Amino acid sequence: MNTLRKTWHPYVSPFDPCTPIKVKTYSTPPNLYMGFQPPGLEQFTPMEALRAGTLWKAFYDPWYSPYEKAREGQ
Amino acid sequence: MKQLPADYYQLLEQLQAVDFVLVDLTLYLDTHNNDTEAIKQFNHYAKERKKLRNAIESKYGPLMQFGHSYSGQPWNWDDAPWPWQV
Repeated sequence: MNTLRKTWHPYVSPFDPCTPIKVKTYSTPPNLYMGFQPPGLEQFTPMEALRAGTLWKAFYDPWYSPYEKAREGQ
Repeated sequence: MKQLPADYYQLLEQLQAVDFVLVDLTLYLDTHNNDTEAIKQFNHYAKERKKLRNAIESKYGPLMQFGHSYSGQPWNWDDAPWPWQV
């Protein structure tokens, strides 16, 4: 399954004083890939929806930083 | 010092959850006008919210003012706790 986390490669200059970071990642929102929302998507229960921040499981995106352990979901 | 029972918080949390579902469904239905499934769900939760509101107001006084909620005896909508004190 392709994940929501994308990567890019920053330019590394020969004069970089510190050890270069070769790959950096960024998180993209799920609705980017959804377009017009199809009807009848799977939903959270109201209590879960309140915590998750959205009613539909497909749009759940906790937007963790790559350093945080991904506790649940992506 | 007046202490609120745990039940007060549970009821308010349920009300908050139902409100969240209603808001999300409203936004969804704005762009999906004839999704009958979602409309049925919306009406279900609207009825659910009315029941929940009556339960809370019968026990803990009015939630809203200016006629949106019935008042208790005596006039008690300005009693503590206020929403930010809860």
